[in-house]
Amino acid sequence: MQVLNWFFRVNNDSARSQAKDRMRNMLVHDRLELPAGRLEMLEEELIAVVSRYFDLDSETTNFDLQQYERKAALIANFRLLRSKC
Amino acid sequence: MSGRVIVITSGKGGVGKTTASANIGVALANTGASVALVDMDIGLRNLDILMGLENRVVYNLVDVVEERCKLRQALVKDKRIPNLSLLPAAQTRDKTAVNSDQMKKLCAELKELFEFVIVDSPAGIESGFQNAIAGAEEAIVITTPEMSAVRDADRIIGLLEARKDEIQQYRLVVNRIRPQMVKNSDMMSVEDVLEILSVKLLGVVPEDEEIITSTNRGEPVSGTDNVRSGMAFRNIARRVRGEDVPFMDLDVQNNGWMSRIVKFFSPATRV
Repeated sequence: MQVLNWFFRVNNDSARSQAKDRMRNMLVHDRLELPAGRLEMLEEELIAVVSRYFDLDSETTNFDLQQYERKAALIANFRLLRSKC
Repeated sequence: MSGRVIVITSGKGGVGKTTASANIGVALANTGASVALVDMDIGLRNLDILMGLENRVVYNLVDVVEERCKLRQALVKDKRIPNLSLLPAAQTRDKTAVNSDQMKKLCAELKELFEFVIVDSPAGIESGFQNAIAGAEEAIVITTPEMSAVRDADRIIGLLEARKDEIQQYRLVVNRIRPQMVKNSDMMSVEDVLEILSVKLLGVVPEDEEIITSTNRGEPVSGTDNVRSGMAFRNIARRVRGEDVPFMDLDVQNNGWMSRIVKFFSPATRV
C-alpha cells in the first residue's frame, strides 16, 4: 500500500495537502465569524446535555465542521451506551 | 448600446488584478468588441503602464467625475487596437475622491459607448473596492494558489454574494499556477482552490516570465501569439463572450514512458 501511495503521490504530509486542510478549517471559521475556542465550548455543552439522557462512550464522541458549497455543517457523533432513565 | 460592466478584483494585492485587466481588455478588443479599461486604483495608477499609454494620459477619472473634462477627452485610445480605450486613475488623489453614486453614473455612461467596461479594482475591501464594484453587474475574482490569496478571495466572494442583486455573476481566475509544483504536491492545484472556494472557474493562467517582459514593453501578452499566459487570457476573453472554450492542457511537458504512465493516473492540470 505504501508503495502504491508513493507511486500515485498520495501524500498527506505534502505542503499541498497541508495547505488544503488548513485552508478548509480557516475558511469555515472565517465564514461563520467563529472565534477560536467557541466551538469547543459548544461541544462541551452538547456533551453535557446528551449525558443527562445517555451514558456516552466518550472515546468515540466526535465533532466535525464540514463545508457544503459555501455553507458549514456541524456533524456531531455520539456513541450511546445506554439510556439513563 | 448597453454594454457589460465587469469588475476585476481580488482582495489581496499583487495577485495580478491589473495584469488580468489589461490582458482581458486587449483579448476582448481583439475579438472585435469595443472595450473600455477603467483604472479604479486612484492614487496608485498602474494600468496605463501595462498598456504602454503612460505618456498619453492628459485627463483622468477624477477629472471626469469632478467635471473638469468630458468623458471622451479623458479616454486614451490604445496604440494598436482602435476599439480599445483606457480611462486612467488619478495619481495625485486618493480613494475618497470618488463615491459609489458617481461611479455608478460613470459606468452607466461608459456602457452606452462600449460593449465591455472592464474595471480594475484596488486591493482591499474598503471604499476603493466598494466604489469599484458599485457600477458593475459582473465580477472576475483573481487569486493565486497561495493560502493568503485564497483566504482574501473568499472574503471578496462573501462580499459579492451579499450584493447578489447588483452583481449577477462572479467567476474565478486562478493566476500564476506552477504545474510542476502542483505535480510534486508542493502547492494547491486549481481543483483544490475551486473545491475550497465553491465557485465557478473562468480560467487558469500559468506563471510566465513573459508577463514581466510584456509589462516592460507596455504590450500585454494576450496580444502576442505563442505565449502560454497570453493564450490563457485569450481563452478567458472568449469565455466572457459566452463561448464554450475547453480548458487547455497545462501539464508539464515530459513525454518519457514513465511520465506518461503517471500522467494516465493523475488528474490533468488545465487552463
